[in-house]
Amino acid sequence: MTAAAIMTAVPEKRPISAGALATLLLGPIAIVNGVAFVLPVFNLLMLSFREALSGGGLGEAFTLENWTGTVTDSYYLELIGQSISTSLFITFLTLICSYPIALYLHRSQGAWRTFLLVLVISPLLTSAVVRTYGWIAILADDGLINSILMYFGSENGIRLLFNKTGVVIGLTEILMPYMILALLAGFGRLDHRIEEAAETLGAPPWKVFWRIIVPLTMPGIALGCLLSFVLAISSFITPKLLGGGRVFLLATEIYDQAIVTLNWPLAATLSMIILVVFGAALVFYSRLLRAIS
Amino acid sequence: MSTTRQNLPGHLSIRGLTKRYEAMAAVDNLNLDVAKGELIAFLGPSGCGKSTSLRMIAGLVPASSGTISIGGRDVTKTPPYKRDIGLVFQSYALFPHMTVLKNVMFGLEMRRVPTADAERRAREAIALVRLEGKEERRPAQLSGGQQQRVALARALVIEPSILLFDEPLSNLDAKLRDEMRAEIRDIQKRLGITSIFVTHDQVEALSMCDKVAVLNGGRLEQLGTPQELYEQPATAFVASFVGRTNRLRGKAEGDRIDVAGMTIRAPGRHAGTVDIMIRPHRMAMRPILEKAAADVEPTNRIRGTIRHVYYSGDILQYEIEAAQQIMTVEQATASGGAPLAEGSDVELAWRVSDTLAFEVRQ
Repeated sequence: MTAAAIMTAVPEKRPISAGALATLLLGPIAIVNGVAFVLPVFNLLMLSFREALSGGGLGEAFTLENWTGTVTDSYYLELIGQSISTSLFITFLTLICSYPIALYLHRSQGAWRTFLLVLVISPLLTSAVVRTYGWIAILADDGLINSILMYFGSENGIRLLFNKTGVVIGLTEILMPYMILALLAGFGRLDHRIEEAAETLGAPPWKVFWRIIVPLTMPGIALGCLLSFVLAISSFITPKLLGGGRVFLLATEIYDQAIVTLNWPLAATLSMIILVVFGAALVFYSRLLRAIS
Repeated sequence: MSTTRQNLPGHLSIRGLTKRYEAMAAVDNLNLDVAKGELIAFLGPSGCGKSTSLRMIAGLVPASSGTISIGGRDVTKTPPYKRDIGLVFQSYALFPHMTVLKNVMFGLEMRRVPTADAERRAREAIALVRLEGKEERRPAQLSGGQQQRVALARALVIEPSILLFDEPLSNLDAKLRDEMRAEIRDIQKRLGITSIFVTHDQVEALSMCDKVAVLNGGRLEQLGTPQELYEQPATAFVASFVGRTNRLRGKAEGDRIDVAGMTIRAPGRHAGTVDIMIRPHRMAMRPILEKAAADVEPTNRIRGTIRHVYYSGDILQYEIEAAQQIMTVEQATASGGAPLAEGSDVELAWRVSDTLAFEVRQ
């Protein structure tokens, strides 16, 4: 076919409109999401309005009791507050620990950078359960840290396991790879020349950091914190194992209500509350992003 | 413009400045004095050490050895934020998260200038680079030329003792470059700031700067006024890098040089293998049959054949095969005269004083 023939042939074939093409491409993921996510969440929402009968049974009638009971019960309110504050604290700690690593990684080059990236990602290749057991070995009363402390003369060592400290330490480490990757993704605007410009204008290193590096990496910080917060508040294996049943968070409570007490409507209600918290975090994140740009 | 050499230490004084990367010396024993208010160019091909020298003066790269002093103060070990310098980057390096005004105010803030005062001075600097009304814009909303103006204002507003330019115009298009060149020169003169301008563009260096330091392979080849550089190049490198030249190689004996059987005379006495350079527009050319007029001045003459003629409006460029080489001759075009035809035999003539001869180190 000659070029002229092709050119005349093209308009005859109706090109798919942009809208139709988008529908076609987004269709499969929309269906998967609908079946595997929206529908179950909707089910969960409906479940939260059902009456819980003893032994895991469900009453036929719809009731608001789960919701009114939860939001008026000081135990649950405290649980929600604690979950949020603990997750925020873990997120903050994860950020503090990950930021220098991400910054160093961003500035390294070549094979060294690749090696470091593999090192950062490698924990993700191991299940969080395995890593949590690793932390138990380190944090236990006769674990690595306390053995060292007692070797240097500490009487009883310090209690790091089966309390909030253990949960915070474990979750921080588990979330660090996600935080580092998110930070790196948001470091695109960082440019060594800009830092040099600030330096020549009279900014000492710490001012370069606060006035230039931190604002320029804000998109990465926001993304990393959102990710860490969401993962922290929804994780239950690590709090369960490192908390030893003594640290109560929303996710562990949901697990207990669903699996142990078999109060599915209450578990559903608490799940919906976490979803609301997620929603609030997302709104805050998008507000922040808009403020940055 | 003064052609006298100053032996007094300048406002900026560089002694034995060296930067070594492992075995390689990026800058090798650089000695330089820049007088107050002078604009000096660092000119050279890429990798000649001009940017490294500039970055050492700014304090962004530590010197391996040697000293840098500004206004009599040794700053060799001083970190950049205490050096009191302004640096204009090739990539502008504006703070993307700040408005134009905040960008320009940054240096003043770092110097703890009260906000109201800082804002007034920043607005003045912005007006100086003719960007009034753009104070609240973000860098991304400005064109390349405007961004470079902001960078200039940001460096000027702190009234630095030395202003450094790192190829500031090479990201701009030709027209804007000419405009900015004049503007930078004008502002620099008006404020009387001692400045160093790094460039690989010889036109930029010659047309803007009081003096030009030609660097090659980390060494200073020559420091002089643009005219000195062009008329009395110290080395073959300077002659070939600054302006265009025809190059002939021959054997010298005193002031006579044998090039492919022809004798060419050059000022001064030379021995051994020499490179002769002649500027294309300093050569005259005429058809061989024409009777030669008596020369007023000592003149070199060689015969050749026109191989190519290039017409580019204001200039006629001939490529002539002579002395077993291709030589370039330039003539201004004139109305009425047709260019000489390709293939015609011609005689090339130039003054002996226009002959640059350099002994080849072997």
